This record gives sequence, structure tokens and C-alpha cells, in this order.
Amino acid sequence: MNAKTTLKQTEIAIVGAGPAGVSAAITAAQAGAKVTLIDENANPGGQYFKQPTLDQPTQLPGNLGTNADKGAELISGLEHPGIELLTNTMVWGISEEDHHLKLYGRGESESLKADRIIFASGAYERLMPFQGWTLPGVMTAGGAQLMMKSQGILPGQKFLVAGTGPLLQLAAVQLLEAGGEVEAILELQSKKEFLLNATKLWGQWDKLGQGLANQKKLKASGVPIKYRHVITRALGDREVEGAVSSKIDSRGRICPRSEDVYELDTICISYGFLPATELPTIAGCEQFYDPAFGTYATKTNSDLETTVEGLFAIGECRGIGGVSVALIEGQLAGLIAAQQLGYDADQDETALRKQHSKARKSIENLGRLFSFDPGICDLVPDDVPICRCEGVTAGEVRESIRRGASQLNHLKPWHRTGMGRCQGRMCGPILQKFIIHEAGLEPSTVEPFTARMPIKPLPMKAVADYTTEGGETTWEDHVGGYGVARTEL
Amino acid sequence: MSIMRIKGIDRGEPITIQVDGKEITAFAGESIAAAMMASGLRTTQMTKQGGSPRGYFCGMGACFDCIATVDGVDNVRTCNTPVHPGCEVETG
Repeated sequence: MNAKTTLKQTEIAIVGAGPAGVSAAITAAQAGAKVTLIDENANPGGQYFKQPTLDQPTQLPGNLGTNADKGAELISGLEHPGIELLTNTMVWGISEEDHHLKLYGRGESESLKADRIIFASGAYERLMPFQGWTLPGVMTAGGAQLMMKSQGILPGQKFLVAGTGPLLQLAAVQLLEAGGEVEAILELQSKKEFLLNATKLWGQWDKLGQGLANQKKLKASGVPIKYRHVITRALGDREVEGAVSSKIDSRGRICPRSEDVYELDTICISYGFLPATELPTIAGCEQFYDPAFGTYATKTNSDLETTVEGLFAIGECRGIGGVSVALIEGQLAGLIAAQQLGYDADQDETALRKQHSKARKSIENLGRLFSFDPGICDLVPDDVPICRCEGVTAGEVRESIRRGASQLNHLKPWHRTGMGRCQGRMCGPILQKFIIHEAGLEPSTVEPFTARMPIKPLPMKAVADYTTEGGETTWEDHVGGYGVARTEL
Repeated sequence: MSIMRIKGIDRGEPITIQVDGKEITAFAGESIAAAMMASGLRTTQMTKQGGSPRGYFCGMGACFDCIATVDGVDNVRTCNTPVHPGCEVETG
């Protein structure tokens, strides 16, 4: 180990302090284990329970406030002598041999060796591109929510919310409650599909209740929900000044003369979620295709242990499941990891397992609320960039698929897609849909980009500090194309 | 377009940061992207290839679209970097 890198030791390391990670940390610490909980953000809570970062105590309006309070209550459980919380710290890699975690935070490089590791790395938002989607003023619906939740700032004035899934309606309600105007919600699914899928949530009264309350608020505020509509263009030269939408028919084609033009300043988009699986993938944990959500996720057994002994995966990274699943999986994995280390917890394991299988089963139906036909790739014109970092267009990608590209990794050497700063987090899922659609492949056969360390761009110093004995640091123009180093260990 | 700080939230004493040499108001705990947005500045970088304007996008540190030069350091994510008094941001 290089002298510049501190080596730390813990019993259970948990990557990600969202609902899953926090609940795992609390359960494991209460059982008596020594826990280190690591998160890249300034505060624990993850995206769902994002806490305000302002120096003053912050009371947010409506639903935003209720949610922050619930999160604060959960997070207060971290005040436990057995828990070390490392915020502002990125886990950028994991050694394939002895699974020590590579950390960088507050200008320091550290490595952490743990007896058990729990991945609770959460999810990213799934997107679909359109003309002008790189303009400032276009953001993910989750990004708009975070600007309100963590900063108390409404990220625009007049909004259009577009994509698919129940998150759109929730985001619109929160924008209204924070003082924004919402011109319309564009929902890809037909009203019939959306409602039919929603009835599959029969029995999950909290989710259905929340959905109905949102619809009621939107109606009362005069926000139209336009089903089977898509955004086709963001207007503006230097930032968003408007948007164009179109109706689509049952086969996903644009209906002629159905254009609506909006004058507005901000566009929020979301097409569901994708598990963040970079670290378990690098550690060699087997991934599986989750047909309910159309994504790859980390495989586990019923103990939530991955195919690599001692490594666990919980919450979104083992398959999109939402907050209720994340909380239960946190408890279960925290309990089992502690038990494996010889601690005895005062928890009803049988009840927890029952709750868990029930929660996971009901979530399969939630997937339908976010699912969409890859045929909508046809709506993306050839000149639209799919890869935001490297500017690779839909036309270039289509050409490569015609020439035989059938995996995301095939596109890398041709176009540098997935090799920019986001490392494929934004374009990967879109390219997956493109390949499935254009090449007519089974969704499960198209695999994600190969995950590589560092999983996010880092200052060169961080990786240089981290050269293990006999290892070589190679300076590659690889990640981000602006001189980020990758360590060959 | 005026982006606003949500009403009724106590933010404490204002501080000043500089964006491309221009002074703007911010509050302790705000991210650079948030403070910029609240002053109507939504472009954080012009891409090196093609010079396309970019700003706050994913909000969770995953997309790297909201990067800017902060206190002389390149490629800093403005969405998860807090302001400090006298902080200098260049959008290039």
C-alpha cells in the first residue's frame, strides 16, 4: 500500500446511505457489529430521503416537507456508537482480489477492508432523448426534486414534466407546492394502460392513495395529464424557452398535426430507474436481467448475499423496488451480515423474511408502470445526440447497429459512447433500447457497458495516491477524455 | 426568467460568490448550481467539443453535465459542491 493511502478496517462496510443503507447500518449496529457507512453526498438519506443542506433548519412545503421529516426520523437512528458515517466520500472502486474498498473524500484517499460489504448504491434515472435535450433548463424529474429537497430552490418557473411513470405526477405536485406553474404532464402510456397498471397495485393502499391524492391535486390546479403524448423538442438557443409535444398512436408513431407548442423555461424528464451496479459488477457479483423493469441488477440469494461470499446487495441495486423494499432489505441484510459475524440480534427474522418476500412480490407490478416499448426510439431524429458527453448522435448509433453492433461495448471503440464523463450512466440505458429495437434482439441479451474503475471521474491525485505495491498507474485518456487516471492493479 | 428560492425558508446571512467575474448572492449550505440558478444563471459549462451550453441535469452527481471551474480546479460538479464566501466559478 502506498504511504499516501490510509488503510482502515471495519466489520461491515455499507456503500450508500439511502433508505436501504441507513436501515442496514442501524440494524447491524444494534446487533453489536462495527459498521462503516459511506456516501458521496453531504448528508445521509439518499435521493429519496434527501435532507436539506442549508445551514439553517429548513421546513419545506407540502409533500417535500413530510418526506424530509420521515427521512430525518430514520437518519436519527445513525446516532449509534457502533456506526461510523463517512459523508462526502466516494467509493470509486473495489479490489477484485481481497475486496478492499477504494475511497476518496475531502481530498484524501483511503482504503477500507471489511469482513462484510453491503452494496446499497441505489439507482439512476432512465431517460429518452429529444431535440434540444442538452439545453440548460432540461433536467431529470429527480434532479428537479433534489433541487427543491436539498436546496429549497424551485429550479424554474413554468414547467413541462414528460416521460412515463407515477414519478411524473408526484414531481409535478411538488413543483406546484413549491410555487411553480406546471403547463402539462406528458405521459407516454395511454390512460387505459396507466390505470390498468395502477390497479395491479391493489392492496398497496399507501401507493394507490398517494397516486390518487396526486391526481386530485393536479386536477384542482388545472394541470392536464396528457396520456400518449411525448416531448419532441426543447426550444431555445442557449437555454430552454419552450417545448413542442406530439400525440402518438397505439403503435407509437407521431400523429400528424397533433403538435402543441409551449412557452416555458424548464423541462423535467423521467422514464423510470436503473440499478447502480458498477461496484458489485467489478467485484465479480453475477448480474441478472429483471424483466419487470427491463434492467440488469445484482443477483442475490434469499439472504441478500450476492454470488460472491461476504458481499451483499440491497435496495435498488438488486432490482428496482422503491423505498419500502429498500428499508426491509436493509434490515434483513444488516441482520444477516451481523449474524454471520457472530452477533445476535433482537429481531424477528422470520417476520422480516415474510415482509420482505411480500414487498418484493408486489413491486413486480410496479415495473409495469414504468415499462415502455423500445419502439419509441423511432421518435428520436438522426441528428439528436444520445451520448451527452461525446455528442454521438442517434444516426451514428443506428448506422453502427446496421453494421452489426449488438452490444453496448461494441459501440465504444466506434463512437466513444460510454467513455465520456458519465461513463455511460446516461446513454447506456438509451443505447440498450436502441439496440433491442433496431437489431430486433431479446432485451435480456443486450448487456450494460462493462463497469470500470474509477466508477466516476476523479482528480488524478486520488488515483496516483492509490498505487499498490507492484501496481502500475497508467495515465489514460480514457475516463472523461480529460486526463483521468486509471490504476491497473 | 426568475428562478426562486422557495418562500418561507430561513437561509441565514447572505454571502457573495463570483461567477465569471460577476458577484452573486448565495447562502451557506447551498450548492454552486443552486446559487447560480437562483441568480438566473443556468449554464455551468460550454462543452469542449462543439461548445454546447450545459447546466444542472441529473442533480445527483452522475451525469457530470453541471461541471465548472471552481477556485481554479477544473471539472467540479456544481450540483454537489457547496458555496463558500469568495468562491470563484468560471463557466468557460
